[in-house]
Amino acid sequence: MKVLGKIFKLTGLLSVVLAVCLSKAQAAPKKPALNASSSQSLELSQPAPAAMNSPVGFKVKTPDEGTKISWLGMGIAFFLIIGGILFWANDIQSFAGILFVLGLFAGFLALGQRHYYHYFANNQGYAPQQPISYPHVLHAGKLKIACLYCHYNAEKSDVASIPSVNVCMNCHSLVRSATGDSGPNPEISKLVKAWESRDSAAPSPVVWERVNKLPSFVRFSHRIHVANGIACQECHGPIQTMTRVRQAAPLSMGWCINCHRLTKKEAPAHWKHAGGPLDCIVCHH
Amino acid sequence: MPSLKEKKIETALKSGLTRSDFLKTMGVGLAALGGACDWRWPHAKAVPEINRPEGVTPGVARWQASTCGGCSASCGALVKIRDGRPIKLEGLKSHPLSQGGLCARGQATLLDLYDSGRLSEPLIDGKKVSWADWDKAVSAKIKGLHGKQVRLVTQTLPNPSLNAAIAEFLGAYPSVKHVVYDPISSSSILDAHQKTHGRRVLPHYQFSKAKAIVGFDADFLGTWISPVEFSADWAKGRAPTSGSPKMSRHIHFEPRVSLTGSNADLRVQVKPSEEYSTVASVAIRLARILGVAVPRVGEVSTTASPESLDDAAQILAQHKKESLVVSGSSDLSVQILVNWMNSVLGNYGNTLDIQKPAQVRSGSETAMDGFVREAVSGRIAGVIFVEANPVYDHPLGEELAKALSKMELTVSLSNRLDETAAHAAFVAADSHPLESWGDAEPVPGVITIIQPAIRPLFNSRPALETLTALAGKTQNAYDFVRAYWKSHVFPKQKASHNFDHFWDGSLESGVVSYEAPSLARSSFSSAALAGLKNLRPKVKEGEFEFVSYAPINLYDGHQAFNPWLEELPDPVTRVSWENYVQFSPADAKRLGITEGRMVRVTSGKKSFEIPAQIQLGMPEGVVAAALGYGRITADDIAANYPITKIKFFPVEIAKLHTANVYPFLNSSVVSVSAGTEMHPLAKIQRYDFQKDPYLQQNRHVVREETLEEYAKNAAGGGSSSNSSSGDGLWDKHEYPGHKWAMSVDLNRCSGCAACVIACQAENNIPTVGKSEVRKSRDMYWIRIDRYYSGSETEAPINPTVAFQPMTCQQCDNAPCETVCPVAATTHSSEGINMQTYNRCVGTRYCENNCPYKVRRFNWFDYDRDDAVQDLVLNPDVTVRQRGVMEKCNFCYQRIRDVEISSQIENRKIHDGEIQPACVQSCPTQALSFGDINNSNSQVASKAISSRAYRALEDLGVKPSIYYQTKVRNVKS
Repeated sequence: MKVLGKIFKLTGLLSVVLAVCLSKAQAAPKKPALNASSSQSLELSQPAPAAMNSPVGFKVKTPDEGTKISWLGMGIAFFLIIGGILFWANDIQSFAGILFVLGLFAGFLALGQRHYYHYFANNQGYAPQQPISYPHVLHAGKLKIACLYCHYNAEKSDVASIPSVNVCMNCHSLVRSATGDSGPNPEISKLVKAWESRDSAAPSPVVWERVNKLPSFVRFSHRIHVANGIACQECHGPIQTMTRVRQAAPLSMGWCINCHRLTKKEAPAHWKHAGGPLDCIVCHH
Repeated sequence: MPSLKEKKIETALKSGLTRSDFLKTMGVGLAALGGACDWRWPHAKAVPEINRPEGVTPGVARWQASTCGGCSASCGALVKIRDGRPIKLEGLKSHPLSQGGLCARGQATLLDLYDSGRLSEPLIDGKKVSWADWDKAVSAKIKGLHGKQVRLVTQTLPNPSLNAAIAEFLGAYPSVKHVVYDPISSSSILDAHQKTHGRRVLPHYQFSKAKAIVGFDADFLGTWISPVEFSADWAKGRAPTSGSPKMSRHIHFEPRVSLTGSNADLRVQVKPSEEYSTVASVAIRLARILGVAVPRVGEVSTTASPESLDDAAQILAQHKKESLVVSGSSDLSVQILVNWMNSVLGNYGNTLDIQKPAQVRSGSETAMDGFVREAVSGRIAGVIFVEANPVYDHPLGEELAKALSKMELTVSLSNRLDETAAHAAFVAADSHPLESWGDAEPVPGVITIIQPAIRPLFNSRPALETLTALAGKTQNAYDFVRAYWKSHVFPKQKASHNFDHFWDGSLESGVVSYEAPSLARSSFSSAALAGLKNLRPKVKEGEFEFVSYAPINLYDGHQAFNPWLEELPDPVTRVSWENYVQFSPADAKRLGITEGRMVRVTSGKKSFEIPAQIQLGMPEGVVAAALGYGRITADDIAANYPITKIKFFPVEIAKLHTANVYPFLNSSVVSVSAGTEMHPLAKIQRYDFQKDPYLQQNRHVVREETLEEYAKNAAGGGSSSNSSSGDGLWDKHEYPGHKWAMSVDLNRCSGCAACVIACQAENNIPTVGKSEVRKSRDMYWIRIDRYYSGSETEAPINPTVAFQPMTCQQCDNAPCETVCPVAATTHSSEGINMQTYNRCVGTRYCENNCPYKVRRFNWFDYDRDDAVQDLVLNPDVTVRQRGVMEKCNFCYQRIRDVEISSQIENRKIHDGEIQPACVQSCPTQALSFGDINNSNSQVASKAISSRAYRALEDLGVKPSIYYQTKVRNVKS
């Protein structure tokens, strides 16, 4: 029996480490590299590999990277809890009581997912597989196409919007394969297929996975930020280096407010106005 | 034997696991469970267009001029289209008639579009068919009826293109005859003009030119003919300024308390049976003052006070050519006398125009009654109803329904399987006006375009296309309307010489004005005055006179499936969701009826049973009930509220008790018996007087004064007598930039509730259902309070009514802000009292501490079961979840949008550029909004005007809403 108790203590300790690792994996970098002194870096520092891949090998969850670890964690927790209850609650009343309390907690976790997901995790680092593996590193990085060429709505509208296929076809009606490739590029072929279906009875648009997303109670306007001279990279990270788009910033309120609070001295020189409004209602209405 | 506790300790010690160890392990385990739990953001897809049309920007609203399809008044409308969905209807500023306003019903037509109860396919005998099959079957059937009696039944259609399509249809089938009727009819006005002026026309009333208005039961601010236009015109004469303290005088004689009567300077209650006598008495007095021959009106006796009759005659005589007498009576003699009065006053050609008559009512009761009689007798072989539902909204609807089942051909062009369509073999799914092409010409010379804002949601077709298809010319509505404009409208106007240019311009502006030819002048023919008499039957002992009326919210009932309108409370009775029998307090006392008791109203074999409502100002011996209710399946929508999604908790869903009153439209005398059952009504306002219930002091939330007092006292409103009690405990807020404020002119406000629906549409305000309204859980951000005043003996007989739009006052010293334990409601740097939904935990302290009771709490997630209705949501406004507080924020999304635009364009915000939804929609322009820090702004000048005051100013909360004292032009 004593041995069993020791085992529980040990596994408990282990799961502390586990929990810490998990929470580290999800935590935001403390401060965006964004102030006057840091030589006006336009880019967010890329999340450190350590943050992406924790020492014990757990990664930040992205939908296309499997949910194995969640199940493992759940399994360990389940074992610990049920073991603990069985061990301690040697009468049926306390067993039922403990189960009830745990049930409430588990219920909150399960139901809370619907409304409160954003309280527990931000989506930083989220980099889903896209239906067309569009490389920003090629278009924005190598070819140096301006962001606003495709995302032209960013300066007109609150939403930057993913370009419609006709914008892609401005070039890709001619460019059907990367230089040196033999035959048409399969990714471009997907685009052409979508384009050619435009007048058919069942058009097949490109269904992108949305990367940067704010909770439904937040209003964000791209056009005022673009007009204010804020570079795309300041929020979206070094997008010109990304093969697959990743949510670079935590997009949390604290992160937003940090920039809005900057005074004239602290703000990067290329901003037209230092800081932003701090009234709650500006974003929450 | 060790106790259980001892045993436990022993076990624990044995195992080496103590309580603290257990708790540690458990804590770690739970942390691990939480950590490992799948706290993942929901997946989201983003699907851009394949080929984005030019001019369409995701996230940016497109505004399109169109015409409101709510009623035949055809006001100009602006449709806000966001990402392919129309999400808001607003008034079209450039429309010469509606002048930028839009009524509650008109704005709510938007929700009718997103109604999954609409017909989705054309039907033959209840089976879905293709349009081609439907057309083939129906046209073969009509051809087969050649030589037999076939009728085409419509309501008044002031739509030139649709009328051209009908003409084409009638041309293709010469045996078909056209019958026009109106559920809310003006037949008597038309018939009276036939007699008095030799032409069956409806005058175009011009209230803006009238300095004296005498109304006889014509609710022209609420429902009568073209209320938005009339309200806008009426309000022009109701705004005295300190420079010229003048306003029009308005006397209203009516049997029930209508919106118009409530706004009159003098309201006189008149029983329906005395209506003729009252009009005749005024006419006799007018004739004597003017010195013209007194019309022979027969015996008159009225209980209306002689002073009021003299008063009415005098103000009319004093304002020859600039006065107006209107009546909503269905009595031909009354209308003839009204015409006579307008004629001797020289009003024709000034305040009434019959040379360019209004085209919004042309229905004939005699023609429709004739059709129904023929149908009942079996002489009609076939009938085609175009957007008409006489089985419901005709007094003989039940008989007609029986006759329909015997006919060889019954066709209904309808947007839902309504009472009439349910009896029709062929039903064509009709499109909503927001899905169709068309046009409207309410008054000659003012023609507006109806253009679609969305592709048809269902497999429906506009009536225009269905009729042309039946006429054998398959043509889409766009081509038809364009061709009609090319041949009929383009030649009449002189502004443009190129049709394409003209057409594009018309689509952009939405309205085209041209010089329409005037009809020949015609003068009053005295022969019409022969044989005038009171046709109302005498009331026997124990019987009641009956008044049926079109209510503000449901009007004729065609929008009865609209939750916004169902919940919208009547402005005077403040009851939502149901109709009810209105009793005078004296009758109620005599019969022992309390509010909510079920009452059976009987006339002959017909009867209905609905709850009673006790209404101050109802004459004794008269009961009134609203039309528009009691539609089949309409009550079912109530079952959807508050929400049926909640499965675990018992949610009270109230049953409605409504009745169709149309069968009683022509019944003037009824008997009434009180039932035993109680059915409490859902009232939004439960206090009728401004008196504080505890202190018994008048709190003067609404300030009133007479015109004389106003002219004398430049300070006005007594605002100095009730000043604020200092700055209070808190530091003053600083407003370095803008400071948003609103002004509400109580003199212009008619209480029409257009702002309430505008706010509901703009701010995603849920409908909560009857049971929730009964618990005072309605969610309106702006409400229109109705207060009675008058002495204790006088008020029950004839109360003075005042309306006050009440919304968040955006106090500088806001009581709500200081009590929020989580700082979810705070003060912005622009004077707005902010409510941060995601921060709110729902303690409702703020609601308790608000002196204006304008904060609303989400008791549920008001998700809609009908997902189609979600398409109406405004993406710029958060949909609030259960457990959070919400309230008016001056439509901050609109403020922010303009702020951003002005910053990008590097300019200042113009005064009037920002219009919250309520301000925009107001037909009378009672509301204005702006930056009070800008001393040149309209709102800043109104805030220092002699009429300005703030509600409950003595509390020291410093509201940002400035009311303008109500001035009544009463005789001293």
